[in-house]
Amino acid sequence: MVAMSTNPLAGLLRKSPFKPIQEHMRKVFSCVMLLPALFDALYRNDQDEVKDLAGQIGKLETEADRIKSRYRHNMPKTLLLPVDRKDLLSLIHEQDSISDGVEKISQILTNRDMTVPEAIKDGLDELLEGTMEISSQAKTMIEELDELVHVGFSGREHDKVTNMIVGVRRSEHNIDKILKKVNRTLFSIEKELDPVTIIFWYKIIEEVGNISDHAENMADRLLLFLSK
Amino acid sequence: MEIIAAYGTIFIVLAVIFGLFMTWGVGANDLANAMGTSVGAGAVSVKQAIGIAIVFEFAGAVLAGGNVTKTIRKGIIDPTAIISSPEILVYGMLAALLAAAVWLMVASSRGWPVSTTHSIVGALIGFAIVGIGPDAVNWGKVGKIVASWVVSPLIGGTISFLLVMSTRKLIFNTDNPLKNAKKYAPFYIFLVGFVISLVTLFKGLKHLHIDLTALQSFGLAVLIGLLTSAVGCYFIRNVKEDPEADRDFHFASVEKVFTPMMLFTACSMAFAHGSNDVANGIGPLAAVISIVTSGGEVMQSSEMPIWILVVGGTGIVVGLVTLGYKVMLTVGTKITELTPSRGFCAELAAASTVVLASRTGLPVSTTHILVGSVLGVGLARGIGALDLRVVMNIIISWIVTLPAGAVMAMVFFFFLKGVFG
Repeated sequence: MVAMSTNPLAGLLRKSPFKPIQEHMRKVFSCVMLLPALFDALYRNDQDEVKDLAGQIGKLETEADRIKSRYRHNMPKTLLLPVDRKDLLSLIHEQDSISDGVEKISQILTNRDMTVPEAIKDGLDELLEGTMEISSQAKTMIEELDELVHVGFSGREHDKVTNMIVGVRRSEHNIDKILKKVNRTLFSIEKELDPVTIIFWYKIIEEVGNISDHAENMADRLLLFLSK
Repeated sequence: MEIIAAYGTIFIVLAVIFGLFMTWGVGANDLANAMGTSVGAGAVSVKQAIGIAIVFEFAGAVLAGGNVTKTIRKGIIDPTAIISSPEILVYGMLAALLAAAVWLMVASSRGWPVSTTHSIVGALIGFAIVGIGPDAVNWGKVGKIVASWVVSPLIGGTISFLLVMSTRKLIFNTDNPLKNAKKYAPFYIFLVGFVISLVTLFKGLKHLHIDLTALQSFGLAVLIGLLTSAVGCYFIRNVKEDPEADRDFHFASVEKVFTPMMLFTACSMAFAHGSNDVANGIGPLAAVISIVTSGGEVMQSSEMPIWILVVGGTGIVVGLVTLGYKVMLTVGTKITELTPSRGFCAELAAASTVVLASRTGLPVSTTHILVGSVLGVGLARGIGALDLRVVMNIIISWIVTLPAGAVMAMVFFFFLKGVFG
């Protein structure tokens, strides 16, 4: 007989699996919110500020990581959940990839002294703005999870969240267009820059773009919750 | 017969002690489980819960508990074979009480989700097999009882599933959930009073010499329902929208309407528990008393003296006060995952199922039915996470408790027989 430390009712009810997801997303979002400041410091060539912000990002990323691993260890297969356990685990994985990406960008900027080429500044700003927008949309979507459980993933909340998902997808599509533009601009000035620097700029832009991809994947996971 | 005459007082004293021991265990564990939900939701304090328990536990036992007591007392065992030696039945009932109480204590100290009902049924069967013979066990009745252990949590789960669905349709999935909550709350509170009293009243008060026709029962149940509903309206009239709390969780204000409603389900749970579980302790006790006072009459069917109920009730209340409040707090802190609206649905479903089972004389497990009802809410996709290992543990406890109770009862039976001759 499996020994239970508490009585049956107390053992039956587990902590909501949606609360840690929301807590994790808040950390991830704080991480993303530091990106504009990071690039701002870079524009000003303020290396101290860049290092400081990178440090903050690293700390937030570690905290998010800790929530994620604790979450994974507390999801036995015997749980009866209102959604698929695998979908929940991949949702938190997608969220975690976002903070991972932000950390990677901050690491590149601290490992190498990078100067932003004048030509891509506008595009980069646009890209960052779009990334902020989609991250905030993704967070709002995750904050609705409690309410969704309350109404059994149906009715008005269902429609509301479906609209949010549509919003995230639209934003992702926009960001793709911006990405293309920035990459073309970068290509046009390739000759003027040092090849290694060019490679790292492509890398940074790719990482920023990945954030929106992960946000879209989150939206897709949530759609699975709704359609179950 | 000589043995009864010689040791009569000792038998009664032993029966009272064992009965208190058993009901103490019931109060410490079972009842605390049943009422923990309302404590956790903040609808009642632990002290209030104890007060409610005292009143409604007795009410349930007196008004609706007769049939289950009868089943425990003489539905499972047929003592015709030992009419000439009634002391055997006295030993058996004492052994069964002690076995069930001891098993209950062992199990709950290990955290196993065993049921008091299952323990006593197992113990009675165990005694009957060795004390009288396998033929003395009313196997047909036992089969029905065992089937009810599987069916009753399913019924509880189905009812709670439907209740949760109805709250969604009528309240949560609407334009103005708070307005609708206040609109439909009186109806839900009416249901609590109506269902519980209807099941109790319907041809159920014969033992109190109150004979109501079907129509009278129905009318009285409606009246009681309306009365509870009126009291409920008084409690929820002041619930206002709380924009601060709603920002975090949109349904926070709506849930506040359900919080006072759980006061009523707390009462109904205590009533249901009284109607079913008090019998576990006082059934065998009553059997011993009636044999001794009648001077060795096994088959007589005298009325149960009221003081036996008082003994049972006292044991339960003492159990609740000494240990049960801790269990209530444990359940209470865990149960925060169960919002008041879900807790209300689960408790209403569980209480109705238990009272219904009591009316048919089936000894069921309040805790297991409550677990079934909570699972029903979970299946309606209404709860974050439920650990199904508990269900597995409950099924294992079903399989283990019957033989464990039986074997212990056999040992105690031979011990008592050896001591008294």
